[in-house]
Amino acid sequence: MSRRRTSFYTAATYAAGLLFLAIFVGPILWFIALAIRPAETAFTMPPSLSFEPNLDAFRHILVDPGTNAPQLANSLIVAIGAVLLNLPFSVPAAYALSRFKLRGKKNIMLWYLGLLMAPPIAFLIPYFILITRIGLQGSYFSMVLVLQTLTIPFSVWLMKSFIDEVPAELEEAARVDGARWYTIMWRITLPIVRPGIIVTSMFAFVFAWNNAAFPLVLSSRSTATLPIGTLGYFATSGVTWNYIAAAAVLAMIPPMIIFLVFDRYVVRGLTFGSVKG
Amino acid sequence: MPFTTVRSPHALGLGRKSFVRKNLPYLLIAPSVVMLLALIAYPLLFALRSSFYFWNLQIGPQPLAFVGVENYVQAFNAFDFRASLGNTLILSTMGTAIEFGLGLTIALILLKALPGMNVVRALLILPTTIAPIVVGFLFRYLYDPGGGLLVWVLQSLWLPVPAQGILGSPSTALAAILFVDIWQWTPFFAIVLYASLLAVPDEIIEAARLDRASPWTILFRIKLPLIKRTAIIIVMLRFMQIFNTFDTVLVLTRGGPGTSTRTLGYSLYEQGLVNFNIGLVSAMTWITVLIVNIIVALYVFVAFRHEEW
Repeated sequence: MSRRRTSFYTAATYAAGLLFLAIFVGPILWFIALAIRPAETAFTMPPSLSFEPNLDAFRHILVDPGTNAPQLANSLIVAIGAVLLNLPFSVPAAYALSRFKLRGKKNIMLWYLGLLMAPPIAFLIPYFILITRIGLQGSYFSMVLVLQTLTIPFSVWLMKSFIDEVPAELEEAARVDGARWYTIMWRITLPIVRPGIIVTSMFAFVFAWNNAAFPLVLSSRSTATLPIGTLGYFATSGVTWNYIAAAAVLAMIPPMIIFLVFDRYVVRGLTFGSVKG
Repeated sequence: MPFTTVRSPHALGLGRKSFVRKNLPYLLIAPSVVMLLALIAYPLLFALRSSFYFWNLQIGPQPLAFVGVENYVQAFNAFDFRASLGNTLILSTMGTAIEFGLGLTIALILLKALPGMNVVRALLILPTTIAPIVVGFLFRYLYDPGGGLLVWVLQSLWLPVPAQGILGSPSTALAAILFVDIWQWTPFFAIVLYASLLAVPDEIIEAARLDRASPWTILFRIKLPLIKRTAIIIVMLRFMQIFNTFDTVLVLTRGGPGTSTRTLGYSLYEQGLVNFNIGLVSAMTWITVLIVNIIVALYVFVAFRHEEW
C-alpha cells in the first residue's frame, strides 16, 4: 500500500471511531444532561446545551424523596444481597465442573445456560401469588431469592472459566502433602481465583442492579429499587422528566463504573467465559 | 485451555468408601441445581395447573371453574397474541441478525490497532451496561415528538417524521423499538467479536496470506470458524433476550399503537399483571415456554453437535 492510501485508511478508521462514539455514547451524555438541566429547557427546539446546570432533581431523589422510598439504598440492598446469596451456591458448583470428570457435564452446563433464556415475565405471576401467600410480599428477601434464577447460572459459567486456569500442579503439590479436597479448595484454589470471584460478584451485582422485572412485581412502596423509581415518576400525572433522568442516571452509574474498571474481564463475563481474553 | 485438568475424585486422593467422597462433584453441584429447580419448577407447575381454570384475580381470589384447554384456544384465537408472536419473531430475528452484522463490522474496524482506538473500544460498551428500562426512558426522551433529539436529527437530514411521532405511528413504532435494541446491543456483539478475533493466532492468518487468500476468504473461512463457539452462544442468548423483551416496550409504547409493537413478553405482562387474567396468562406462559424450548433445542442440537466440553 502506498503511503497516501495508508493515511487515508487511518483517517477513515478514526472517523469511524468518532462516529461510533457519537451514535453509541452521545445519547447517554444527552440524557445525563437532562438530569441537571432546568425542566423547562428539556425540549427546546433546536436542542441546546446552553443552560444553567443544577442538582435539584438529584436533591429530590436522594435528600428529600418525600413519600418515595430510598430507592438508591433499596437497589444496593437487593443487589448486594443477590451477590451474597449467589456465591455459596455457584462457587462450589463451578469448582466441581472445572476440576472433576463428570458424566453429563455438557448437559449440565447447557442446562444452566438454558435457564438464562427463560422468560422472566412468565414466572412473575406465579412468584407474585406464591410470595403473597407466604407473606413475603414487598420483602428484600423475595427479590434476592428469585434473582438467583439469573445470577446462579451466569456465575457458574463465569467462575468455571476462572477456576479452569488455576494450574493443577498447585493442587497436586498440596495433595502430596496430604491435604484434603476441602482444604485444597478453600486454602489454595479459591484464594488464587479471588480476582475471578470479585469479577463474578461484580457481574452478578450488575445483573441484579439492572433488573426491573422482579422488583416491578415483588417490591412494595418502601422497597422499590431505582428502575421502579423511574417508572413511578413516569406514571404520576405529568411526566417529571428531570426526576426520571436523575433516578436513571443514579441507576446507570454503578454498572458503567464496574464495566470500565473491570474492562479486561468484561468480554469473559459477557460471553460467560467461553472466550479466554 | 492450557492449564485445565480433569480429575476423578479418586485421583484427588479420596477414599473409595464414603458416599460423600464418591459423589463429591455431584454434591457440590447439587445445592445450585436444587435451588434453581425449586425456583423454576414451582412457577411452571403452578402455571400448568392454572392454565386449565378460569381464574381472574379481579373477579375472585380462587379459580372459578375448570375449563380444560379453553384458555389455550382463547390464547391462539386472540388477535393480539398472534400479533405479538409475529412481532416477537420479527424483532428477535432481525435484531440478532443486524446486531451481529453491525457488531462484526465494528469489530473488524476496531481490530485496526491504531493509537486511541482502545479508548473507543472501552467506551463503546456503555449502552450495554444500562438497564433496559432506563434505555427505554432514554429513547422515549430522544423520540419525543415535541423536541426529542432524534426527531430533530431526522428533520435536519430532511427525513420524514410521522405527524403522530415515531412511536405513535403504526408504520414506524416497531422499527423504533428494533432500533433501541440495536443501539443497546450492537456494542455487545462488537466487543465480544473483537476480543475473540483478537485471540485468533497471527500465524494462521499469515499462512493464508502467503497462499494468496483474499481478505474475504480469510474472514469467512478462517477467522469466523475459529470464533464459532463464542458466536453460537452470544447469538443464542441475544435471540432469547429479545424474544423475552417487555420492559422497553412497557416504557416506550405499551404495545401500541394498535398491536403494532406488542411482544409476547408484553402480552404476558398485560394479561397477568394488568388484567390479572391468571388462567389465560398461564396458558400463554406455557405456549411461550414451549416455543422457546423448541427453538433452543433445535439450535443447540444443530450448533453444538460437534462441540467438546
